[in-house]
Amino acid sequence: MGVPIESSPPPGWERERIDGLLGLLGLFPPGRLSEIVGSRSSGASSLLLALIARITTAGDGQVAFVDATDALDPASTAAAGADLSALLWVRCGGRLRVALGAADLLARCPGFALVVLDLDDLGPVPASAYIRLQRAVEDTDTILIVRVARHREGSPASLVLTTRRLGPQWMGVRPLTRLSGLRSEVSIARLRLSTLSSPGRDQGEGREGEGRWTINWTLEDWPRDNWSIGA
Amino acid sequence: MTRVACLLAEAPAVVPPGALLQVALAHSPRVEDAETCIYLDAAGLEGLFGAEPELGARLRDAALAAGLSIRVGFASGRLAALVAARLGEGIAIVEPDGDAAALAPAPLTLLPLPEELATRLERWGICTIGELAALPTAGLFERAGAEGVRAQRLARGEDPHPLGSWRPGPTFEESVECEWGLETLEPVVERLGAMAARLCARLGARGLAADGFEWTCRLADGGAHKGALTPAVPLTESAAVTALLRLALEARPPRGIVRTVTLRARPTRAGAAQESFTDPSRPSPRFLAATMNRLVALVGPDRIGAPALLDSHRPDAVGLGAYAPPSPRRGAHAFASPSPLRGEGRVRGPRRRPPNPPRDASVVAAPVLALRRFRPPVPAAVTLASGRPVALRSSRLAGRIVAGVGPWRASGEWWTTRVWLQDEWDVELADGTLCRLAHDGSAWHLAGIYD
Repeated sequence: MGVPIESSPPPGWERERIDGLLGLLGLFPPGRLSEIVGSRSSGASSLLLALIARITTAGDGQVAFVDATDALDPASTAAAGADLSALLWVRCGGRLRVALGAADLLARCPGFALVVLDLDDLGPVPASAYIRLQRAVEDTDTILIVRVARHREGSPASLVLTTRRLGPQWMGVRPLTRLSGLRSEVSIARLRLSTLSSPGRDQGEGREGEGRWTINWTLEDWPRDNWSIGA
Repeated sequence: MTRVACLLAEAPAVVPPGALLQVALAHSPRVEDAETCIYLDAAGLEGLFGAEPELGARLRDAALAAGLSIRVGFASGRLAALVAARLGEGIAIVEPDGDAAALAPAPLTLLPLPEELATRLERWGICTIGELAALPTAGLFERAGAEGVRAQRLARGEDPHPLGSWRPGPTFEESVECEWGLETLEPVVERLGAMAARLCARLGARGLAADGFEWTCRLADGGAHKGALTPAVPLTESAAVTALLRLALEARPPRGIVRTVTLRARPTRAGAAQESFTDPSRPSPRFLAATMNRLVALVGPDRIGAPALLDSHRPDAVGLGAYAPPSPRRGAHAFASPSPLRGEGRVRGPRRRPPNPPRDASVVAAPVLALRRFRPPVPAAVTLASGRPVALRSSRLAGRIVAGVGPWRASGEWWTTRVWLQDEWDVELADGTLCRLAHDGSAWHLAGIYD
């Protein structure tokens, strides 16, 4: 008779944390416009990178990233686990109209699994641009995400996630030795899935305002390349 | 009994396309075009041309008459015939059942092997085909899988596949004759469009696309108007082809009355938008090419592509490579089965970080904190107290620093004129913003914001 063996997770393994993030990343509806709203150091960009990593490494398709402010850090993207060869990076140099035009072109090009428009605090974005983007991905399998610092009233986004900074995580106490990560909260501000054509997705109606995730984003570029402790 | 002859040109670079094939077809009804050489079925030709030495001499003379200098090898299998032709002089004959012995001293590079298996065998010290043939099959299968066993069967002179049979490729050409003549451009385009539709239908039925079109208009005065176009991506849509033909003819119309219109398509294998039933679809090459062209016009050619990490420790050392959608799950297959030899076959090179192995869709990496970079870094004024930053003032961010760690000192390329040195600090401002400051020895900069 065999002896049952119970294995416990290794130290630091937070299964719930991974499952929670996985569920969060599965929320973004294809064929719809979604919005990630977050101020500086709120974890919004980290959330985007996690989604890009999931799609590119799982072989779910190609990702287009329209970078309105040239802020994407490919090193962070690779550290998050993304396959950079499956990522199309469009740098717009802070030009809002160019970024909107590029996102519109990519949303209308069939075959991309995810199109990201990272506007950060660039704006204001005309409401017509949102509607045009929403129409561009209708009846496609493309997830379209706009990442902005502030939510725009009248946005037709089916899913709006807001990110909020809970606080940095440092290692060491007096003196601090290094930054280890950031703790942030992601919550659903809007979830309108009843308008989706697929009947199975109607279950999302009524969940607006519900759903809240607390995520510890860890700083991965440690030890830093080629560093030494300075005087 | 199977006997194969291999015809190998002495100087392949100067052989006109199809010349060697014509020589082979004049002597045997069964010929395989292997691009680098020609194989022909030599069994049963004794009654026509005599024994193999005579047949070989006849083939060599026929090639000489066509201006080609060739070597001929005879064996029971293709690989042995090729090796005989390559290593022998003039006409080389391997006796029946002598393939394995003939192959044994040949270098392993003559064996068609996948790159990974070739590297692995080289690391094992296997240099000749005979050494591969002598390896224990069970052990080889454990280490190199079915691919290794297949290579060993070839090395032992076994040729499991029958000789392929060459057939002339289909001609994709349409022609229309107009006795009354066409004086304006529109009817010419109309006929070209109809021909393009028929050609596209024929191409599509064979799973092909066209990567080039040529047209010829015979004119009433005896002259000819010729033109060609090469689309950015292979096409099978007749509407797109017609539009391109219209544009090309409008730019350079025929100078005279057109009597005959001929359109030829250059066939090519069309890439699948979806490799398998379970794979996601890739962007259509035609749509992607059009979208990329528009994006280049919108943002500029140097601002679009796939991000690439450069082989440097310099902060923000990134570049933009050409964007080419990889095959779905390309990497997943490569990592699907664990390598029996850990560490072998991996890329060692200038990559700054190793590629991330693909994961299952149900698994996600640990959440990683992203850095948003300022490009270029924003000049900043930093107030120090006891050597530590306590306040920041810049055009993008300003405030009191409530916590910070550093400096993390990095430097590099001191052996060139592009030497760099940088102290980095991770700081938290009073409003909660986490940012990275950098001091390059003379000035402070805001490198980025953690988000």
